[in-house]
Amino acid sequence: MARRQTPAELARKLENSRRWFELVPPEGVPIRFEVAGLAARFGAQLLDILITVVVMISIILLLAVLPFSIEPLVSSLAAILMLMIRAPYYILTELFWNGQTVGKRATGLRVLGADGRGLTTHAVVARNLMKEVEIFMPGTMLLVSGSVGTFWNLVLLLWIVIVLVIPLTNAKRQRLGDLIANTYVTARPKSVLLPDLSGSAPKLDFDFTPAQMEHYGRFELQTLESLLRTRSETRSSNVRRVESLVQVAAQIRRKIGYEEPVPDSRAREFLHAFYTAQRAFLEQKRMFGDVRDDKHHRDDD
Amino acid sequence: MSDSQPIRSTRFRAEREADWLALETLVKRVESGGTGQLDFQESRSLAELYRKATTSLSVARDISLDKSLLIYLESLVARAFLAVYAPQERLSGVIGRFFGGSASAAVRRSGWAILMAFAALFLGSWVAALLFNQDPAWYYTFVPAELAGERGPGASTETLRAVLFDTEGNLLAQLGAFAAFLFSHNTRVALFSFALGVFACVPSLLLTIYNGLILGAFWALYADRGLGTELFGWLSIHGVTELSALALAAAGGFRLGLAVLFPGGLTRKDSLRAASKDAVKLALVAALMLFVAGLQEGFARQLVTDTTLRIVIGWGIGLMWLAWFMLAGRRAR
Repeated sequence: MARRQTPAELARKLENSRRWFELVPPEGVPIRFEVAGLAARFGAQLLDILITVVVMISIILLLAVLPFSIEPLVSSLAAILMLMIRAPYYILTELFWNGQTVGKRATGLRVLGADGRGLTTHAVVARNLMKEVEIFMPGTMLLVSGSVGTFWNLVLLLWIVIVLVIPLTNAKRQRLGDLIANTYVTARPKSVLLPDLSGSAPKLDFDFTPAQMEHYGRFELQTLESLLRTRSETRSSNVRRVESLVQVAAQIRRKIGYEEPVPDSRAREFLHAFYTAQRAFLEQKRMFGDVRDDKHHRDDD
Repeated sequence: MSDSQPIRSTRFRAEREADWLALETLVKRVESGGTGQLDFQESRSLAELYRKATTSLSVARDISLDKSLLIYLESLVARAFLAVYAPQERLSGVIGRFFGGSASAAVRRSGWAILMAFAALFLGSWVAALLFNQDPAWYYTFVPAELAGERGPGASTETLRAVLFDTEGNLLAQLGAFAAFLFSHNTRVALFSFALGVFACVPSLLLTIYNGLILGAFWALYADRGLGTELFGWLSIHGVTELSALALAAAGGFRLGLAVLFPGGLTRKDSLRAASKDAVKLALVAALMLFVAGLQEGFARQLVTDTTLRIVIGWGIGLMWLAWFMLAGRRAR
């Protein structure tokens, strides 16, 4: 009979479904970055296009004030201006703002060199020149697609499909330009330092024997950590939280065979003490090579 | 298990927390205002604290089961990495290096690819001229109607001559001609022959030969009417730059295609990446040359109508390009 998936395995699956990539900087410690979502990238691109179009239109409006008529040229002028504003805009912003255009700043994205040595000028230029070929050339042709034949429309369609599919086929969501320039786009990491739960533990009057520590692994410990860290904003959610703490405490006591009674009002203190003791125990085991990833003592496979 | 002393990972954290927080403050400042925000001492401590934090991360991954601490360190080190390994470029530096040697070195390294592109161009012209001499009707096969305009085997010699020495139009018309040029046939050909080179050179080669065919057909038509020298002058003033730009763009495509075809000891992906370093520079040079050619075609060709002068200007500028490619950045190595 096939064994059912444990919660730890499910959680691991969930964790793996978020996409990560690792860079190895010269320091030799791999650093994890989260792969940027397609929606965010699309949004950033849209914002950047908007900015360049606005600049282009304002330049044309400025030119329109000049004494001679530019009417017959507007479309070709617009095309040139777009090219001359767009390419430098992307290249210079990404180069001088460390991989961020205005749109990427707004959506919290960043371009990274995949070799872990920072972005090079070549990488920035290459990925943005490819952007011309990948996105803007078919985009411009799409606007005039009515005037070319069926054959070219099909070619255009094929090209757009290829360009859209490539980022979906690789795990790091690299578009063609990223592949050639060897760059990744990542979501900007945020960091919040929370207080150490074991350090802020209250005076412990709960004692645990080593045998009582044998029941849980890393996954259960960290689940308990999340539970202890939850803050409740409203009164009703606070009541529910206290209830769940009492339930969890009771469950743990049953499981590890903790005989002494724990009053409901001290459930939180009990869990805190148990967390500290369990963490110390598991970290000690881990240091001697006994890694317990969950309560089934199965290692990550 | 001692209740008196905090557990090991807690002590580990307590010893290093101040450094992490100091690093975070520095990183925040760099994130909001760039590395220029920091003075010398701060930059030094940024690098130092970053290295300490990477070590902390590496240790914490092994000894700590505190999930929030691990998440914090992961993201702190990631942010510090971005701050420390940010590109330290100046605009003048980037442009100076491009013109001062890196572009010309890329052109010099691509000698064979450029030769291949010119060979394709000449092959096309030669074939078209041969065919035209057999039967002028070939002209219509090679030259697209919108490019030919009123020039064709049916046109009178006077009409053909008038096209070469058209001086009508004011500044505005010249600007229009310039604008139209940039998005004309040749720019598109350059772009495609560069971008499609990845597909084993074949599309680039075909496009370049095709461009040669058009050129050859024109040439044969004008030579047929005894206007060969005049056409040469007309073409020279912008064509030396423009056709070279086409050849360079195609050569960039060839470099990519050759990297795919013959990767040598590398994987195809790595080989493509290595070739792209030169190919991108070739594309930039080609774009620059097309821009200059647009200026030449839009303005100089209308202003200068003397054939000798046209030839001198066109080839003079061509020589200047050649001098840039051959000489710039040589001393450095």
